[in-house]
Formats: sequence, structure tokens, C-alpha cells
Amino acid sequence: MYKYVIRRLLFALPVLLLSSLIVFGLMRVMPGDALVALMGESGNVGQRELAKLRTDLGLDRPYHEQYLIWVWQMVSLNPGDSIFTNEPIAVALKKSIPVTLELATLAMVLGLVIAIPIGVLSATRQDTPSDYVGRVVAVSGLSLPDFWLGTLVITFAAIWFHWIPPIGYVSFWESPWRNLQQFLLPAAVLGFRLSAATMRMTRSTVLEVLREDYVRTAWAKGLERRIVVYKHALKNALIPVVTIVGGQMATLLAGAVVVETIFALPGMGRLTVEAILFRDYPVVQTNVMLVAATLVTLNLLVDLTYAWLDPRIRYR
Amino acid sequence: MAIATARVSAFEEPPVRTVRRGAALWAVIRRKPLGLTSAAVLVLFVLTAVFADVLAPYDPLATQPEIRLSPPSQSHLFGTDDIGRDVLSRVVHGSRISLWVGLLAVGIGTGAGMIIGLLCGYCEGRLDLLVQRLMDAIQAIPGLILALAIVSVLKPSTTNAMLAIAIVIIPGNSRIVRGAVLSAKQNRYVEAAQAIGCRHPRIITSHILPNVTAPILIIASIWFGNAILIEATLSFLGLGTQPPTPSWGLMLSSTGRAFMEQAPWLAIFPGLAISLAVLGFNLFGDTLRDAWDPKLRRQG
Repeated sequence: MYKYVIRRLLFALPVLLLSSLIVFGLMRVMPGDALVALMGESGNVGQRELAKLRTDLGLDRPYHEQYLIWVWQMVSLNPGDSIFTNEPIAVALKKSIPVTLELATLAMVLGLVIAIPIGVLSATRQDTPSDYVGRVVAVSGLSLPDFWLGTLVITFAAIWFHWIPPIGYVSFWESPWRNLQQFLLPAAVLGFRLSAATMRMTRSTVLEVLREDYVRTAWAKGLERRIVVYKHALKNALIPVVTIVGGQMATLLAGAVVVETIFALPGMGRLTVEAILFRDYPVVQTNVMLVAATLVTLNLLVDLTYAWLDPRIRYR
Repeated sequence: MAIATARVSAFEEPPVRTVRRGAALWAVIRRKPLGLTSAAVLVLFVLTAVFADVLAPYDPLATQPEIRLSPPSQSHLFGTDDIGRDVLSRVVHGSRISLWVGLLAVGIGTGAGMIIGLLCGYCEGRLDLLVQRLMDAIQAIPGLILALAIVSVLKPSTTNAMLAIAIVIIPGNSRIVRGAVLSAKQNRYVEAAQAIGCRHPRIITSHILPNVTAPILIIASIWFGNAILIEATLSFLGLGTQPPTPSWGLMLSSTGRAFMEQAPWLAIFPGLAISLAVLGFNLFGDTLRDAWDPKLRRQG
């Protein structure tokens, strides 16, 4: 087990290093532009100021030095300052990560609550109208753009129920009710999108498991339908679902970018979009790298959970 | 010593029923109503984009401030926007951008992914190891975020959005093709081709490539829908197509959101268009998979 974990970690490291090189390389194409844009906004700026800013940001050093400095900053959890707000990026992240974390957790929970029962229902009643409805809902979840769904939800909540989510972010610990009011709609929009893939996966794995011999035995023993489906079949059918849920973290983090922008939640997604719009490259490269590192770690955790859930799978 | 002789009849191979891909697809489309619906949606989408100039009742850029924000009516079926442009004409022309982005992004992404996958799968060894780790590294960054980062480096425009989407598509495609190549290489006829001295390019193009076209086409059709969605999202965030070009995502963000309560049709119709196009491609991808991938067909 330990050997497996260590080996997987050793595989993850080069991937992360390569990702960091890609992100760094991408951002290095930009700086000249970004500085000109930044200075252009503050009026007429001479070459001297531009050169000073370049030195301050360390952009006059050779690329390999800049890269090593950045990697060290990331490893030592001090990724420098934003060039737009001058705020340390670590401070901005400390404020925005809990927002995205709460949104993602709620969305995940809501997504599973929608997906698993409908997926099971769809499978147990294969080729009936309820199955068709379930499948259409699932495919719609994959097709409806979350920015559209979000816009519609906000507008129709306002038109029909004269209700708009409270403006100005409040943390859960300050006012749980107000906080939930802010998060419920965005989490539902994001959760709906997530539920689609999980629903399809649950349906197909439950269908497969229901045809296994041990399920036939369970039926033959005269067990109740509820026990056969939920206790015998679902338990095994959920194993591949865990993988897909883990894999959905990428969808979740990308979706957060859009949903946070629409619902004005000050999370990491919105921070990234704003940084991109203002060409604030230190923030962009830190955020993108953080997302990549999170995904690589989560994939590792999913693989470990997978092996833990199904004792037939051995670590190799 | 008597020798038993029997008339040896010439060995006859039993007739093998080869099901052509087109026929298999047509069989599934006829059997499954969703397959037929998706095919119809796609045909409608392509025809709308191709004949946009003929179909659009007005010039998508012509403004008529005197009828701004007028609701759907007989003369303007989808209503008008904040500067009096006809929404139907803009939605019709928007299909061109989506089709264009989808075609080029998926074309470039799939083409590059296929070449990388073929080379990696065929050559294996160090090149494969190195390239696959690079693909892992690109895949570690979620598609939309990578596209956002790429567009931020380039300038926000339809072409750059398209390039960014193409880059996002490459790793997944190359992996699928690589897998298909690795399994196709195990076939005896590949070994036979090597034994009789066929050159590598010929083995790749004549013996391996036909085995990987089905997975490529399936994944391309699903990616087509995703490409439309990513372009719309980038345009919605202000990082894709720029005004006044009619792009569905841009229409939603620029006027759709701002006048949502006063004029909900501004957001409803472009959103419906995106959803319908993406839904069509997703369902068509499922249909292709049902028809061409027997392993997945059983799972329903």
C-alpha cells in the first residue's frame, strides 16, 4: 500500500512540474503586453517606470531564474503579490478558497442527491417512460450552459418570487441562513450539471450489476426489491461512480468560474476571471497551478478510495 | 493397403457479414427515436448556418432604435434587442460562429490528437512516455480554465478562442487514439504486414488507421458540442467573440443579462440555441457510440 502511494506520488510530481512549466511558459508570452496594458491605464508612462516595474517584478531576470523563483514561492506558500491590486496573492486566496470550497461541497452534495436516486430508478425501470425522462434530464444537464441556467434562475426567482439572493458575501459562521441563501441557487445550478454524468454512470453500472449472478441469487432467495436493489446491487454499482465523481472535480472547478461570476460570489473562479481580464498574470498562474495541483491530488485520492471500496482491486 | 480417400472439397470460407458503418448507424437511428431527433437537429443546425444569409429576415447588425426591446411579434419573431437589432437574425447568424468554431477547433484538435496518438501508440518507448506525461500535464488543468489562460495570453477573439479549444481537445483525443492503436497493433495482420516488409507509414495508414476512425469520430462529435459550449462560455465572459459579431454566448452576456427582467427573450433564445445545438451533438455522439462501439452498446 505504502509503495503504491509513494509510486503514485512519484508519478504525480513530474506531471505537476510539467503543468507548472506549461503555465509559466504561457504567462511568459504575456508580460510585455500586461505591463504595457497596466501602465497604459495609469496614463503616460515613460520607459524608466516600465523598466523599474520590470525589475520590481523580477521580469528582467533570465527565464530559468524566474521559473525557479516562482516554483519556490509556490512551494513556500508565498506566491507574491497581485500586480493589479498589490495585495499579496496568499491573502486573496485565503479569502476566496473557502467560498469555492463551500460552493463545490454543496454542489457536489446536491448533485449526488439528484443523480443517484434518478440513476437507480432509470436502471430498475429500463425502457419505461420514467427511464426516458431520467435520461433526457441527464443529457440536458450536460447540454444546458451553466451561465444560461444561472441567468434564468436569478431572473425568474426575481420575476416570479420577487426574491433576489442577498448581495455582499457573508461567511457561514457570521450568518448561516444568509450564507445558505447566497449559496443554494449557485450550488443547485452547478450541482445539476454535475448530476448529469453521475446519473448516466449510475444507470449503466446498476444495469450491469442487476444482471450479475449474485443479484439473481438475491432475487431467488425471495428478498424484497428494496433490499436487492439498494443493499446488494447499489453497493457494488457505486464503485465506478466514485471515480466519475472524483473526475468531476475538474468540471466543478471550471463551473465555479462561471457560476461565481454570475452570482457575484468572491471565490477562486471569479478571482481568476478578474485576473485574466486585468491581465494580472501572477494571480492567473498561481490560481491555475493551484487548480492543477488540487486535481492531481484528488485523482490520487480517488484511486486510493477505489481500491479501498473494492477489495478485489489490489495495489500494484 | 487401402487408402481411404475422400473427396476434398475446396475450403470455402463461410460468408462473413460485414456491417458497414453507415448501415450500422442508420439501423440505430431508425431504431432509436433520440438518434433520429439528434440527426435532425444537426441537419437543421448546419443548414441554418450555411443559409444564414437567406434565412435571417433582417441584417443582424442593422439597428432600429425606435423599436428597441420590443417583445416577440409577427415581424420580429424573437423580439429585438436594446438597440433594435432583430434577435432571430442574430441567433441565425450566431449559428455560423458556433459551427465555424466547432468545425475548426474539433478539426485541429482531433487532427493533432490523432497524429500524436498514432505516433505514440505505434512507436511506444521514450517518445510515448514523454509525450503522454505532457498530455497528463495539460489534462491536469480543467479545459475551460486552460482555454481562459490561453485566451488571456493571446487576444480575445473568435479565432483565438477556437485555437484555445483545439489545444484543450488534443490530450484526450491523443489518449483515445493511442489506446486504439495499441490494441490494433496486436492484430495478426499488422504482424503479417511487418513480416512482408511493409513500411511504417503504410502500416499506419492502411492497417492501423481504419481501426481508430470509429473512436475518433465518436469523440469528435461529443467534442463538437463541448467546443460550442466553451466558445459560448468564453464569449459570455468577454474572452471570446467580440461585439458586434453575433455569437450566442456574447448575446447572452451583453444584452441578455442586462435586460433580463425587462426583455427575457434576449437571454432565452440564444440560450435555447446553444442548448439545442449542444444537446444535438451529445445525443448524436451517443448514437454513434451505440452504432459503432459494441462494448458500450450493451450498457444502454
